Amino acid sequence: MTVVSAFLVPGSPLPFVQPDNPPWGELAQAMQVAGQALAASAPDTIVVYSTQWIAVLDQLWQTRPQLEGVHVDENWHEYGDLPFDMTIDLELAERAVAATNAAGIKSKGVNYDGFPIDTGTIVAANFLNPGNRLPLVITANNVYHDWQRTGEIGRIAVEQAAQLNRKVAIVAVGGLSGTCFRHSIDIGSDHLALESDDAWNRKILQLMEQGQVDDLLAACPQYAAEAKVDMGFKHLAFLLGALGGGFKAATVHGYGPLYGTGGAVVEFHP
Amino acid sequence: MGKGQIIAGFLAPHPPHLVYGENPPQNEARSQGGWEPLRWAYERARDSLEALKPDVLLVHSPHWVTQQGHHFLGVPHLSGKSVDPIFPNLFRYRFDLDVDVELAEACCREAAEMGLTTKMMRNPKFRVDYGTITTLHMMRPQWDIPIVGLSANNSPYYLTTREGLEEMDTLGKATRKAIEKTGRRAVLLASNTLCHYHFSVEPEPPEDMSREHPQSYEGYLWDMRMIDLLRRGKTQEVFRLLPQFIDEAFAEVKSGALTWMFAAMDYPELPGVLHGYGTVIGTGNAVMEWNLIKAGLAQAA
Repeated sequence: MTVVSAFLVPGSPLPFVQPDNPPWGELAQAMQVAGQALAASAPDTIVVYSTQWIAVLDQLWQTRPQLEGVHVDENWHEYGDLPFDMTIDLELAERAVAATNAAGIKSKGVNYDGFPIDTGTIVAANFLNPGNRLPLVITANNVYHDWQRTGEIGRIAVEQAAQLNRKVAIVAVGGLSGTCFRHSIDIGSDHLALESDDAWNRKILQLMEQGQVDDLLAACPQYAAEAKVDMGFKHLAFLLGALGGGFKAATVHGYGPLYGTGGAVVEFHP
Repeated sequence: MGKGQIIAGFLAPHPPHLVYGENPPQNEARSQGGWEPLRWAYERARDSLEALKPDVLLVHSPHWVTQQGHHFLGVPHLSGKSVDPIFPNLFRYRFDLDVDVELAEACCREAAEMGLTTKMMRNPKFRVDYGTITTLHMMRPQWDIPIVGLSANNSPYYLTTREGLEEMDTLGKATRKAIEKTGRRAVLLASNTLCHYHFSVEPEPPEDMSREHPQSYEGYLWDMRMIDLLRRGKTQEVFRLLPQFIDEAFAEVKSGALTWMFAAMDYPELPGVLHGYGTVIGTGNAVMEWNLIKAGLAQAA
């Protein structure tokens, strides 16, 4: 089996930079549990899709062999730095570029010193791959790609991994409901901004836990629209594409507020 | 300290291609030129800015997007390398700039007092966005005038366009108050493209101007309509049409810089000087100036 584990995780930096804040600390603990599960699945490579790496012209894949540095989030700069140290599985990344191009999805690698690595990728890598133990393949969220095309990209990435006999963990980085507090809040009392968002998120997470993929897929368009889901929930499309369209069940390691938006750490069981 | 004043405003878009075409030493990527009419438009704007002798340049950039409030650069000196995430092949720029923190703090305070959520950016490792840098480089490549950088709060996208632009209007008025109270002679830079429909494929080489033209005829017509109104000083009509322009031409002015700048200048019915117009990967870009000294609305130094 090529995909040995798969996760949906939030890209907000808040649980990483402020884990001692109870509402965010629960998500930080859930991320650590997910990291242990990922390590236990013993992948060769982690394939990451982040809603926060925005692409416009092409499908972009990170092809710089080593990425090190410090990022400061554009919005949450007051909470401190986001250090990163990542190694790229160049062979798989380059094959993914070629294969997505061959499938008619214009793609290219980016290999530039100082290229801005997005917050979501950095947070996921730090929590799920501490110490840079495993190489990554990182790809972008092209804003013009729809649900179907995003799923196709996930499928192609796994197909290429299979051809290399790589075992991979899939990490889809993105949020749930998107309504946020636009004013300053007491972060210790952070909560979902809307009860209706909370209800929607819980319904979707329940469908995931129960492995009701058809019902989940049917609910996604309405959920994405009504709960202002991060990037139309395309990160789930990537994950489902990578999983071959389905999964048996899921474990929700954590769910909580991120300045009013919803975030969940979910492990999918293929 | 005398009362400060806004002495000019510029519409100063930020396609990184313009820096790439110029080949300044700060940028790693090298080109054979390209986009000359727009770059020459900026040369004329640079000459005007030189004559204005401002104390500070304020720039509102759509590529520093914030969700919780309107943010202001608040570190006295910032340096580093800014790589454009969309066009990393064109823009990998070593920046080194000084911030007028006193004015930034005043803007932050005034905007908060007028009801906006605001925040100072105090992290010295912060990477300044390419929109801010491109606009500032194109206007003043010497980097010898302190700056104030303002983020683009995502309110026009998160809320309605009208609600979002109302916030930008308030931000502009707060900016004016801060400038007046701190005694600065300030120039405002609205870092916005007009029609933002663009091609999805980049030519090879990117500076192949035989491939450059408006992506959308309808968008081009909208740009000409708005520029014509701006050149005739029909400011009220421009802002009446702005929501429709934004919707129909996918105009980047939705992010708020133009509204911020005109609100700060008190929406003068003043003919703007068009230094030049051109497309970049199909988008419409105008470099325009509103010189409040020449118009008698501000005093010369």
